[in-house]
Amino acid sequence: MKPKVAFFDFTGCEGCQLDALNLDGEEVIDLLNAVDIVNFREAMTEREDDYDIAFVEGSITREPEIPRLQKIRDQAKVIVALGACACIGGINCLKNHVPMEEALRIVYGEDAKYYDTIPARPANAVVTVDYYVRGCPPVTAELVKVIKALLLGKKPDIPNYPVCVECKMAGNVCVFERGMTCLGPVTRTGCNAICVTSGRHCWGCRGLVDDPNINSEKDILQKYGLTVDQVLEKFKIYDTYAEVTK
Amino acid sequence: MLENSVLIVDDEPIVRESIRDWLKDAGYQVATAESGEEALEMIERQDFSVVVLDIRLPGQTGITVLKEVKAQRPWIKSIIITAYPSAETTAEAKKLGAIDYLIKPLVPDDLERLIRETLDSVGREPTVTTEVEVRPKPPAVEVVEVKKSFIITKENLKSMVESLIKETEVVGVKSKHGKYVYDRIAGFKELCLDYDVTVMPPTKYLLPAKEILLKFKLGDESKVEPVVETIPRAIIGVHPYDIKAIELLDEVFMATNPDPNYIARRQNTTIIGVDCLNPSPKSFAPSMGTHLTEASFDLLLTDIGAAYMVTVGSEKGSELLAKCPQVREPTGDEIAKQKAVRDEALTKYKLSLDVPKERLLKLLEDSYDDPYWESRSETCLSCGSCVMVCPTCFCFDVQDEVSLNLKDGERLRRWDGCILVDFAKVATGENFRHDKAGRFRHRMFRKGKYILEKYGKVGCVGCGRCATACLADIASPLEAFNTLAESARIKEAAIRIVREARAETELYAPRLAELLKVDELTPREKAFEFKLKDGKELGQQPGQFVEVSVMGIGEAPISVSSSPTRNGIFQLAIRNVGDVTNALHNLEKGVTVGIRGPFGNGFPLQALEGKDVLLIAGGIGLFPLRSLIQYTLDRRSSFGKATLLFGSRAPAERLFLDELAAWSRSPEIEFHETVDRGDESWQGNVGVITTLIPKVDIDPRKTMAVVVGPPIMYRFVIVELKKRELPDENIIMSLERRMKCGVGKCGHCQINNVYVCQEGPVFTLAQLRNLREAV
Repeated sequence: MKPKVAFFDFTGCEGCQLDALNLDGEEVIDLLNAVDIVNFREAMTEREDDYDIAFVEGSITREPEIPRLQKIRDQAKVIVALGACACIGGINCLKNHVPMEEALRIVYGEDAKYYDTIPARPANAVVTVDYYVRGCPPVTAELVKVIKALLLGKKPDIPNYPVCVECKMAGNVCVFERGMTCLGPVTRTGCNAICVTSGRHCWGCRGLVDDPNINSEKDILQKYGLTVDQVLEKFKIYDTYAEVTK
Repeated sequence: MLENSVLIVDDEPIVRESIRDWLKDAGYQVATAESGEEALEMIERQDFSVVVLDIRLPGQTGITVLKEVKAQRPWIKSIIITAYPSAETTAEAKKLGAIDYLIKPLVPDDLERLIRETLDSVGREPTVTTEVEVRPKPPAVEVVEVKKSFIITKENLKSMVESLIKETEVVGVKSKHGKYVYDRIAGFKELCLDYDVTVMPPTKYLLPAKEILLKFKLGDESKVEPVVETIPRAIIGVHPYDIKAIELLDEVFMATNPDPNYIARRQNTTIIGVDCLNPSPKSFAPSMGTHLTEASFDLLLTDIGAAYMVTVGSEKGSELLAKCPQVREPTGDEIAKQKAVRDEALTKYKLSLDVPKERLLKLLEDSYDDPYWESRSETCLSCGSCVMVCPTCFCFDVQDEVSLNLKDGERLRRWDGCILVDFAKVATGENFRHDKAGRFRHRMFRKGKYILEKYGKVGCVGCGRCATACLADIASPLEAFNTLAESARIKEAAIRIVREARAETELYAPRLAELLKVDELTPREKAFEFKLKDGKELGQQPGQFVEVSVMGIGEAPISVSSSPTRNGIFQLAIRNVGDVTNALHNLEKGVTVGIRGPFGNGFPLQALEGKDVLLIAGGIGLFPLRSLIQYTLDRRSSFGKATLLFGSRAPAERLFLDELAAWSRSPEIEFHETVDRGDESWQGNVGVITTLIPKVDIDPRKTMAVVVGPPIMYRFVIVELKKRELPDENIIMSLERRMKCGVGKCGHCQINNVYVCQEGPVFTLAQLRNLREAV
């Protein structure tokens, strides 16, 4: 019996689902031989409410999303958070710094009264999440890795060390040595340091490692010329939820 | 070298002669020189232990002599004497390696004491902390002879490189974002031969960041195939310190358990080195003796201005050079010029060790508990940059990756490093090096001590890359060593170079074994019986372990539970704690698994023979110990009294019930059993395992205790056994660690300077007392 896989979207840009569609042709065929995809709004119209593995994308930012996610938890044997918003809250959580009324007013202006919102949160703030496919967007290969691990009945090997490891493996010149700053030293890798390799710096989209030395990273960012506010801004982009709920 | 030989250099006859007489009386071999020139001539001809040097000499000054000594015979210790001490000269002299200085007029006793202390700390073998035996080295090793040098014009070098590019992949040093990196080059003009240091060492061309070790098929027709991928490649522009690092990698991967993947790449690689004439400001290569190299390259270039001096280091290098027209022998002036540019480079190093590198072993040994490790590691990000950029780091992890069709897969090796948080974490969740300070210290100990002890080569080549890469600014071994520095000194062991090695192609490839039988011992533990498919015996000693592969899931180290005296089959008893063990628990009779090994030392059968044996097992510690119990019973006459103590947490967790019953009935062995917590079904002893020890008669002179159980049990059992006056040498234990490769390379199982997979997992308490990370 092939396991049934469903994809669900909450608040987000849905780029993670789009990224999941980036598999090459042969991989898609192999994947469809291995699992039945029963629910995938971006790729198919049929829907089914019987599934084993649920991929959940987006963060939770509205009240009705909470029971919806809980219902998915009740049905699925395994929930996998897909992408930065579902894994760590992501950029939606930037609004948590202002009162919700203010956030509504900034976004919707006079129409704010027609909408409702709650502080944004990752999936694991609402239900138990079994596995995480991190990143903004996630690494397609890692999504496949998690699916394969689930099929084989083993834990996926997701690194618990910082981006610096893969950044060095990629042969990059350190961002700091190029006169910029970077969140790589505290961010969980698995992305092959793709942003640095492409000439930018790490934004922290995969969230922190298990035991990050945040104080040391803050000292370093300041040493390389950032003010305290700029340092906090750096961490805010993806990691506001952790910062605010601390 | 003459032992206790001293050269006195002073232009004042009275000083020279009086020192000579004092020292001769004190039993030293003494020679004298009255000028810098004469001293240099003598040093060129002859070796000395110590040079006593006046800083103010007519002609060549004392500083010049010091420089020369440092360049030519860096092992000679120098003591400066001066009538006019100045902060600048003494600082410069120290920088050039002078041990100390004395002010004239001299007190003979002071000088004699200083020389004696210096000599006392020189020439000793490196301090070894454990009694672990060094395994005999294979004969695939030779000492390299002296090289021949030629002159090649810059134009000719260019055509040599260009024609090499046509034949093979050529990697060279290129500039990138204002730094330098190794990368493939398409033409000579891309190549940079005058650079300070590259971001990454050339390691990846010999040991890639990620490589395939095996390809396999999953399921019933499981098949395993070793994979070695390599292409011919030349690396141009490798600095001497990186060549020294490659020399260490050669030792690690070629000398014992020859690694097929490394060897194939190494033999397919041509190394064209270049002398580093403009060192990085973070480098301290001269202090580590790595600013120049004599071996382990094919060709070595020195930019002498108008042309390159090229030193031939191998047959391959010689053939390469032979293709080059207009290569000629150097003139005397050119040889002098090479020396001059090297000397000038030496003056450009800004950092140096405050102690001779030979002293690091002892220094670190004495600094294990220094508060430095804790305080300095506070800002450590555990980001891994220091180990990733290190040319002497080689630890790795091994993982299985399976295709989406779930039919075939690959076993991959990836770089890993001991500074990373989960490096020593095992499947049960225990992390044997869980604290930042412990990991920080372990890395520094590898750099300054463990590697030198194990491989006879420096574990830090002073390239300064880690100091550059570390954002927290704490990674430089130089800083650690200098901070910990004291004043005694010792000397390095002889050098050997690994030149050729025959690869063990099946090193990482498991043998296939068929699962014959599965017994459920408890809901968490099962016993598995296997037979090797090639029909051979496993050949294990009691206490050894194997690496068990479930293809696609991975490998796990498992102790063999059966004795070699039970022929044809072997048994593994396994608790379900991780991915591999979980997969094993789901297997059924008839399937195939992979087996590598047996590995490790096993229980010391020779030491046990003829003795009373007291075997103590707690919980699943019975799994490894069972092999020895069976062995003892099968060779009963080889041992004196045999006693077995076994403790479980609860009656439901008792293991091998039939065997427990048989042992309790057997007249061959005295058997006591206990459970920590009883229940209504349990009639026997209740209490922890230590409560059984007072029940046993122990003759401390002829009893060997073998203890296997969870870490917590060891502490209490040791206390009880010591109460019975059992010597440390007679208490034997088997330790659990993360044994990943099994062949002493990946680094995960290391306790201090010991690879558990090779020198363990069985240790005496006497050995463990010196292994401070052990219990």
